[in-house]
Order: sequence, then structure tokens, then C-alpha cells
Amino acid sequence: MGRLLWEVIERTVTGPVMAEEQFETELLPGALASIQAKHRIEWDPDEPVMTDPALADAIYAAGRELLLEVGLYCKSTKRIVRFTEAEIDSAVRGARHEVTLGHDRQAITVRPRAPGDAQHPYTFFSAGTMTTDVELYKYYARTTMQEPTCDGVVPLPLYGIDEMKNVADTPAQTLVCLTEARVINEAAMWAGKPGLWFGIPMSATTPLTLISTFASGLYNKHNCTLPVQILQEMRIDYDRLNLAFFAEQQGLEPWMSSCPALYAYLTGPEQGAMEIIAHTLAMLAYSGGSVTQAMSVSVHGSYVGNDIFWCNSAAGLAAERNLKLPWITYGSGGTRAPLDDDAWYHIAIACINACISGMEGLWLAGGHSGMEARWSGEITRAATRLTPREGVEIIRKINGRLSGNDPAPGAVDLPLTEIYDLKTLKPKPVMLDHYRRFTRIFRDLGLDYPTWQDAD
Amino acid sequence: MATIEDLRQLVSATKAQPAAEMTRTLLAEGHDPMAILEDGVMSGLSDVGDRFANKKAIVLDLVRAGVTAKACIPLIEEAFPKGESRKIDRKIILGTMLSQHNIGKNLVGTLLSIAGFEVIDIGEKNSPWDFYQAAEKSGAHLIAVSVVFAPAMEKFTELLGLLTEMNVREKYPVIVGGAVTSRAWASDQGADGWGAQAKDGVLLARQLLKLA
Repeated sequence: MGRLLWEVIERTVTGPVMAEEQFETELLPGALASIQAKHRIEWDPDEPVMTDPALADAIYAAGRELLLEVGLYCKSTKRIVRFTEAEIDSAVRGARHEVTLGHDRQAITVRPRAPGDAQHPYTFFSAGTMTTDVELYKYYARTTMQEPTCDGVVPLPLYGIDEMKNVADTPAQTLVCLTEARVINEAAMWAGKPGLWFGIPMSATTPLTLISTFASGLYNKHNCTLPVQILQEMRIDYDRLNLAFFAEQQGLEPWMSSCPALYAYLTGPEQGAMEIIAHTLAMLAYSGGSVTQAMSVSVHGSYVGNDIFWCNSAAGLAAERNLKLPWITYGSGGTRAPLDDDAWYHIAIACINACISGMEGLWLAGGHSGMEARWSGEITRAATRLTPREGVEIIRKINGRLSGNDPAPGAVDLPLTEIYDLKTLKPKPVMLDHYRRFTRIFRDLGLDYPTWQDAD
Repeated sequence: MATIEDLRQLVSATKAQPAAEMTRTLLAEGHDPMAILEDGVMSGLSDVGDRFANKKAIVLDLVRAGVTAKACIPLIEEAFPKGESRKIDRKIILGTMLSQHNIGKNLVGTLLSIAGFEVIDIGEKNSPWDFYQAAEKSGAHLIAVSVVFAPAMEKFTELLGLLTEMNVREKYPVIVGGAVTSRAWASDQGADGWGAQAKDGVLLARQLLKLA
């Protein structure tokens, strides 16, 4: 449990009152701008990755200062929760730097790694797909779990069960999430990996259904974490605090997560990275978590691009140097198009970025299918020992290959039956050809992985 | 001597009070209200929109631009000659689905009002039910929906389904516009009209309500 959970609760009813609009349009933007200027944090749009250790430390200092100056806004009470320097420092000193995810033969202990370390970032693939077809969901989950580089998975949300919709806060959502948990457990058994880590329950969107799902035992402290993620723009509500307390009571690992939206209230990736640090310190204070997921998204809807990757790497490197938490970022190309070149290039950039920024893992790595997962797992391992300079050089070359076009309509949402034989769960030639072509491209770029030799 | 270009720059810089003052000055100097609206306010808003599209402005700037436009537009509306603001006996429900964005919605509302329609602006952060309920309560003739971010797209589809379910789909033509929408998407959902720009709202309303 966070050292400051009870203090935070107390301050949600005693802290200064402020209208939410004033917080988000005046207090927060003003503090972000002045702190960014003070620490001279600037992004060069031509830079795809932030590799400067001094700037990383400045971003950490700025994020810490942001939390101290602004505090957290409690939506439940319209009050501001402030922290002292001593409290934040105490939370940081008490942070756990290692965490074991999964159990038995699939247990992995995630330890701090620095850019260029021999230990690869762990790759936690997507499992399932966004559908109401439970059978299809199962097949997708199996395709990723059977991959040798699968260190764990994160289920994708089930939209419902056939005609039954996933309605928040109702037994329907609990049933959908229980179904997700059942299918994910069964798929792990099928893949011979019953101890796999399952990330977080993704079909549940409210504390009620999350807690109901954990009550079943299908998801538990050995195979799953409980989301306590902060809301964008330095906000919390009582749901976060209830979940943090529930996690402590049940011995569940809190899933600390920050996902700032660039260009909404944040002017760019610099402020995004600052906010991720501030968010993380706050979550550390109220939940005492360890596993941290940090990624950014553009308000224009993109999960990729120099600005997004720079933000993710800047926050990751700042955390690697100053917090050493098990740090996970988004490992997907952001486009649901299993045969789209740009999507595969973006997966590669995300994975190389994680390697050279000293991160410990990637979540939702790849796409929805097993071959996209394989690609992310292998490219991550191939890039593990790259120095930041080498990694940036390769990313620049990849950027030069991006078409920038939307995926061809035929490449988007391709049915699984088009790319996999569902009887054998082996990829079809069209998928294998695509994969082999990419292994050749990346060998030409200077990366290699043992199985890629077979692609010649 | 104030110029409409000065006003455009103030709106572009989201300076609400100076922009309102400039609007007053331009009107007092006898400039055409429609030119002030289109070449000053709307053009300035368009600048902010372009900067946002190029990641040189953020949502907060759009909100501030909306506040700036709101400070200017009532002054311009008051200045329109009475003949131009003749009333049309048709009510239009106008609102933003889910999100708090209102610039485009407010512009559409202004132009519809200037064209003589009775605009019932139900504001921002609306659900499908809000649109349905407002239309039924007011005896509206058309529903105009602003869809500005992706989650609202699904809700727009829900609105069309809700109107069908309540047996009022034929009663209310539904038009849509907004940053994330497209003609093809609107058509796929079954919308009766889609507008790329604020002024398209007036054309669509006239067509769908069979006004000359």
C-alpha cells in the first residue's frame, strides 16, 4: 500500500477547493509552461528518441516539481491534494525495484536495466481481439501465447458475448470479464504456459467489475495486476484510491499507468514526459506500486511518430536514472493491419526505443495476431544490446522507409482465417512471406536474430 | 483605423476582450457585419484550427478561441439588418456529442440563427438520449450533431439507432459534422447530411427541410 494513501484520502476533503475547469485551464497549463521553461526542456522535432542523460534528469526534476507545485486534483471532491518534498522523497526511497510477474515456470523477475544492457526488455503480447466472438478471441489469444518470445500477455477487451453487450457496472460486464479470464487461462494452458502473467483485466472498466472479477480467483495475485492508474492531467477520484486499498488488502500488485494526451492540455512531448513523471510519483505515493506503464498518445489519435516516441523515451530514461521502477511502454504499431508495412516498422521503432531508453518491458507488443507478436518479441531481442546512438541511427533509417500512407483497406482488420490456419494455428504463407521480408529488411539494417537465418 | 484583418489576428491569438472591443469598433465604423463574421471571426478561428491540425496549438487553444468567438458573435448578430434575420418557422436541435468542444457547433448555431432558423443549442457533453429528448420536447424539425473525437462517433450511431427504436427517425433529419467525421462515414451510418464547414449546416438544413 502507498505510504500516503490515508493522507491522500484526508486531503481530498481538506485540500483547497477549486473548479475543475480552473485547474485544467489555468493552474496546470501555467505550471507546466513555467517549469518546462525553468528546466529548459525542449524537443527537436527531428529527434525520434531522447537519449540525453542530463535532459532526462532535468525531466525528472521538472516532473517532481510539477507534482509538488500543482498536486493532484480530486474529481470526487473538487479539492487539490498536495504533497511535501519529504513525502515524495520517502515514497521514492520506499519504492520496490524488482517485481515477479507470473508464477511457476513462467515466472519472470523484472529487474532494472539500462540502455544497452544484455537483458532484453520483456515482451507482453496482446491476447485476444476486440470482438464479441469468444471463439475468435480464443484463437487470437492462442496465436500469441504459443510464441517462444511471449513473456506474458495483456488481454484485449472483449466487447461482449455474442449479442450480450459489455455494459459497465453491470453483471454483464462482470460476466464478460470472467469469460475473458477463463479464455485467457485456458489459452495459457493450451500453450503449455499456465503460469503466464496476464497483465490487467481489460474487459472491466469500473472498480465494481474489476473487484468482482478478482473475487472469482481466475485472475489473482499470481497472474494479474490491478489497475490503479491516474487520470490524465494530474487527476484522481475515489475509484483510484479504493482500488489501491483493495490491491493492498488482497496482496495484488498495483498496475501504475500514465497515458498523457499530447496537444490537449499539454503543448508537446516535453510536457508529456514531465507529466508522466509527476503521475508516477503520485501513484507511488497513493498505491505503493512498482510496475509502471507509461506511454503517450496524440489527441489527434496517433500512438506513433517522433513526438510520441520521444515522449515515451524521455520519461523512460528519466525514470531509469532516477526511479528504477519496472517500466513498461506501449509496443504496438497502433494500426490494426497485420500486413501493413508501416505498422511493422512502427512496432520495430517502439521496441528499439524501449531497448535504448533503459525500459524493462513492452505491453500490447505487436498487434493482435501471433506473427505481429513474434515480430515485436524478436526485434526487441535483436535490439537489446544496441547503444542509444546505434538505436537512433536505425530508427532514423526506419523513419526513412515509412510511407506515411493509411494502410490499404485490404490490410486492415484482416480476418484471422486469412492469415492463420485455425486447425493448426500456423500462419499462412501470406503472413510468413510478410514476416520473412521484414527479417531480411532488418538484417540489412544491421539487426539479427537466430531464427531469421531460416528466412533466407 | 481598425481593419477586419486586425480582428482576425486577435481571434487567431485568442484574445477575447480585445477581439470584442475590435468588433465593436469595426461595427461602429460601418463595416459589413457578415464580413466581420466571416473574414474576421471565422477566419481567425480557422487559423487556430489549422495550427491545431499542425500540432502548433492544443485543445486548450481551441477552447480559448471558442471563448473569443463567443465574445464577438453576439455583437455581430445584433448588428445584422432586421431583414436578414427574418425568422423561419423551423426548429433545429444543435449540440456536441460527448465532448466539451464547441467552436464548430457554435459557429453552425450562429450561421443557422442568422439564416433565420430557431436554434435550440443543448450545449456540450450530450448523450444520444439528450438529443432525442430535446427534439421531442421542443417539437424540432432537424437534429444537428457535432462529433469531434472518436468515442463520439459510436454515440452518433447510437443516436440514429435510438431514433429508429423510438419510431421518430423519419421525423427528424439528422446532420453531422466535426473534425473526425467524413462524408463516407456519415453516409455509412445513415446520416441525412454531412458538412465539412460550418456554413454547410445552413445549406443542409435548407435542403432537408425543403426550403427554397
